[in-house]
Amino acid sequence: MATGFNWFLVLSAVFLCNLVKSLLPSISSCLSKLFQKDAEQETGMRMEIQNMRMELSTVNMMDEFARYARLERKINKMTDQLKTLVKSRTAQQAKMKWIVNIAFYILQAALMISLILKYYADPVTVVPSKWISPLEKLVAFPSGVTGGVGITCWLVVCNKVVAIGLHAVS
Amino acid sequence: MELNEEIESSEQQEKRARSAAQRRAEIRRRKLMLNSEDRMKKIVGFSDTDASTGGVVEPRLYLDLDRNEPWSSTASQKRLLPHVSEVAVSNTDPSERVDSDDAAGEEEASRGVRQRPRGELSGEEHSPSPRRGLQKYLCRFDDAMKLRGQLANEKAAQEESSADVEELDSFRFFRLAGSVGLAVFVRIFVCQYLSIFAPFLTLELGYMGLHKYFPKVEKKTKTTMLTAALLLSGIPAEVINRSMDTYRKMSDVFSDLCVYFFTFIMCHEVLLLFGSETV
Repeated sequence: MATGFNWFLVLSAVFLCNLVKSLLPSISSCLSKLFQKDAEQETGMRMEIQNMRMELSTVNMMDEFARYARLERKINKMTDQLKTLVKSRTAQQAKMKWIVNIAFYILQAALMISLILKYYADPVTVVPSKWISPLEKLVAFPSGVTGGVGITCWLVVCNKVVAIGLHAVS
Repeated sequence: MELNEEIESSEQQEKRARSAAQRRAEIRRRKLMLNSEDRMKKIVGFSDTDASTGGVVEPRLYLDLDRNEPWSSTASQKRLLPHVSEVAVSNTDPSERVDSDDAAGEEEASRGVRQRPRGELSGEEHSPSPRRGLQKYLCRFDDAMKLRGQLANEKAAQEESSADVEELDSFRFFRLAGSVGLAVFVRIFVCQYLSIFAPFLTLELGYMGLHKYFPKVEKKTKTTMLTAALLLSGIPAEVINRSMDTYRKMSDVFSDLCVYFFTFIMCHEVLLLFGSETV
């Protein structure tokens, strides 16, 4: 038979999953920053490009063409290097995001399956069967207990309610 | 004097050259103007045949081949044939394809046009059908590229704005609040006498009537992979929109049911808890 707070345990698990899901983008960005190499190099290059651009603006193209051209070539070369660096960083971020998402979905699936297996035979809560007629069999699935609320029905309901609640809050 | 004569003769030569150039420009302009009409007719004719069943292309091609007209109109016909033959090779826009001038293709096409006898219908019956199929395929390909672009734009816009989900409009909030209120009321007063789903159904019927009194929120139809696939498979956009609308309404009812049932169970558990504590 159902113990007191099974429904609360399932609700908490669903709430936790949905909360982590909403925080996934920030988690993946934190992890990518943690594993990111050459972050300082990128900022250094940006500063250098900015300084060179400022210097370029002070140089007159007519009077000091050679210096102007040399500076412009340096800026272009450094900009290309920066673009390559940014590209690799973006690819790494996308890869990290993908890994985090996959890991989360695997964990979520594992949690849901374990909950279903745990409460396969026991309903999460029991109410008088005439309250939930004519859908008592559907609501009680898969426990089969008359008047009981089965794990699948409760999971679906909790998922929906938590999603609406988190959406309203965010 | 001689100098003046020289100047005059050079000026006359210049005038003659300018007038010849002007004449050539005028001739070219007239040809372009005549061709543009024919071109537009063919473009409109092709877009009409895409919407309806293909029976229009065949007689148009037959008529075009039979016409014995000056070069300007036959040039547009010649452009049509190389356009159809080249279309498998290139992936350009239809407007660009129609306007493209391939001189070599025109010569081949003109030879082909002149050599075909007028009375020969059977050949014409067979050749337009692969062309029709090719045209259809190309139109679908264009639609697919446009939808792909649209999807990419929407995805980019969503990533920028990070406002992927629909906002809770006033009616939706009213529905949810009503479901919660009804669930509490039913748990306290009604559930001993009848099933909890009966009041819920009554509530949903009430919502259907109250819907018109709330401000309508225009929901932007998003192009998703599913809608793009359905569009490309030939299902009309109107049918897709109506189905999506029905699906949205059903999902609203399902959300109300979930909130109602959840609130009912929570109330029940809270009352049991307080009941056990007082005991």
